[in-house]
Amino acid sequence: MYDICIVGSGAGGSPIAYELSNAGFNVVVLEKGENFTEKDFSKDELGVSRRDMFTPPLWEQKHIINEYRQSGEFTRYDGAESGWSFWNGSMVGGSSNLMSGYFHRMKPKDFELLSSYGEVKGANVVDWCITYDELEPYYEKVEKVVGVSGNIVEHDYQEPRSTPNFPYPMLETNGVTKWFDRACEELDFTPIPTPRAVLSESALGRNGCYYSNFCGSYGCSSGAKGNARAALLQKCSAKVVTDAFVYRLDSKDGRVTKAHYYTKHGISHVVNAKIFILAAQAIESSRLLLNSKNSEFPHGLANSSGEVGKNLIFSAGGSGSGRFIFEKLSKEQQKVLMQPGLFFNRSLQDWYDYSDGCRIYKGGTIDFLFEHQNIISRVNRELYDENGNIMWGDKLAKKIEKQLTTSRVLTFEVFNDWLPTDNCNVSVEEETKDKYGVPVGVINLNSHPQDLEVGEHLAQNAVEVLEAMGAVEIEYSISSSPPPNLVAGGCRFGDNPKTSVLDKNCKAHDLENLYVTDASFMPTGGSVPYTWTIYANSFRVAEVIKKELQRHI
Amino acid sequence: MQSFSSRRNFLKAGFLSSAVILTSGCDIFGVTTSRDTIKVVQNDLFPKAKELGIDTSEYITIIYRHHKISKEDKDFLKNGVKWLNETAQEEHKKIYTKLSDTKRQEVLENIAQTEWGSAWIDTMLRYIFEAMLGDPIYGGNQNRAGWNWLAFKGGEPRPKRIYL
Repeated sequence: MYDICIVGSGAGGSPIAYELSNAGFNVVVLEKGENFTEKDFSKDELGVSRRDMFTPPLWEQKHIINEYRQSGEFTRYDGAESGWSFWNGSMVGGSSNLMSGYFHRMKPKDFELLSSYGEVKGANVVDWCITYDELEPYYEKVEKVVGVSGNIVEHDYQEPRSTPNFPYPMLETNGVTKWFDRACEELDFTPIPTPRAVLSESALGRNGCYYSNFCGSYGCSSGAKGNARAALLQKCSAKVVTDAFVYRLDSKDGRVTKAHYYTKHGISHVVNAKIFILAAQAIESSRLLLNSKNSEFPHGLANSSGEVGKNLIFSAGGSGSGRFIFEKLSKEQQKVLMQPGLFFNRSLQDWYDYSDGCRIYKGGTIDFLFEHQNIISRVNRELYDENGNIMWGDKLAKKIEKQLTTSRVLTFEVFNDWLPTDNCNVSVEEETKDKYGVPVGVINLNSHPQDLEVGEHLAQNAVEVLEAMGAVEIEYSISSSPPPNLVAGGCRFGDNPKTSVLDKNCKAHDLENLYVTDASFMPTGGSVPYTWTIYANSFRVAEVIKKELQRHI
Repeated sequence: MQSFSSRRNFLKAGFLSSAVILTSGCDIFGVTTSRDTIKVVQNDLFPKAKELGIDTSEYITIIYRHHKISKEDKDFLKNGVKWLNETAQEEHKKIYTKLSDTKRQEVLENIAQTEWGSAWIDTMLRYIFEAMLGDPIYGGNQNRAGWNWLAFKGGEPRPKRIYL
């Protein structure tokens, strides 16, 4: 019997595997996908981006998606028929292999959203049951152990830190960042060098970044990216079992007793352990609990509250872009603009909250970055003329050539709170099965109108920066479409077992030995990407479990 | 997963070389192969590829064999070849490949006004660009001719095998 069995090898599970196996405990990690290491990754746009090589085909594994409107009506989408995918990376280390690693901490007020900004009608806003101060030491731990590079600049929303600066220096940036900084100075905004979970120099037994130009969506070939595999799993003795899709957890007398998994050939296996950790990414973790109902838990494991799957959240916001064209630039500026490889790495948090004159709104973060270097995607953007008609032939060739060789696009991404609502949750559909014969997850989507208003406010400020920089073709889209890679909630933590699934240590209220350590625990999401918080919280929970196990030795 | 050249040798008489029989009512009025049509229509849609010495039509064999491309998407490509030829027959009494350059462009202009036609041209262009601008290991972007055209350097490391 293992001491610990972890379901899922991404950012939520790996800190537990790392800490507990390094403390001498016997840990097994069950991972649905394959193992890829640095030498397996390449910059193959066709495989990675066009053919989604790290996610399963939707006709084998899909979700049912119900998109709600404010009226309460919804439209049902079959994931396979519509091509709507919520998979992010089935592989050892999970989707952290493919992240860009924009690492922002949540702010103290994010932990007290209800107290700080008050109730929002139609939204289930609550305070967290821990404070920023309780998580801060673990944010710092992630900086050191996973590796975060950056440089602290003082600004109104800089969160308190126990150390003055990041342990690893900033990555190198493209010269266009100077144009950005100048524009921000004119506008009285504070540009922040975006902290990245990417090592700027060799450290921690990993190579530093070699500026491949292909970071987000791609596996890292140097080990610089702080994904859960390179940073944690490859540095500990935890046993990782690949091709292990966990489809049921058994429980008896208030304890989880077994994890059942299928291989891709449908062979079933069983793992016994003293403690079980669930970290399969938010949607799949809720799905597994709901699919693990038994006589003790007729509505799903750990679900006496009826809260499993509820209050699913994403990152609200959207994205936008502006184009810098040669006609408006000097020869020297053109050269700087087209310099490949180096990062942009600039963020704005000037509107982490803001007032409309009547009340204070929780705002968010804007990250700026160059358009992804994927050449096929960039060319595909050019297929239509200004009237929306498909183009071809020499006319199209000339347009592509001009756009790609004499201009470059700077993009921005807006991150603001996706307010939790009743109609945004996960359930399962008994009659619809995946290739393993297991009921698929149903994703009920609903966004609160305030999410769009806040996103709009942030995007308009981003547009001002692009205008001041001299960009043309500025456009943006704030929408209620959820980014599948920025998902959290479904198993809220809280002090009250009637209104939450997990206690403050992310242990199920209902079970003595089940923890959920992916982003499922988050009652609200903050206005930043989640990965740093997932890592930090998982290190925090690892500490609790370590003490618990050591007490029983 | 195998390299493109060895994989190519495996290809038996698959879709590309089998006959597409065009029917109007009960009359069989034309026979062509998808390979012939695709080669010609790809050049009509993006002649720049040929100028750069790139043959994009072979790449379609990869698309038809790819396990991550759905049957529906493959069927749409095939059906488009059939519909294109049917349109050519209706308008000019000849299959697409037998028409003059000007007439073929007319057919493309006409199908671009239809829902299926614009979607099919969109799809075909995307595959042309995949062939031209994907990693050279896939067989299309020989000597990085597509990348060089757009002053693109590609990312390192490059794949050691194609993903099929």
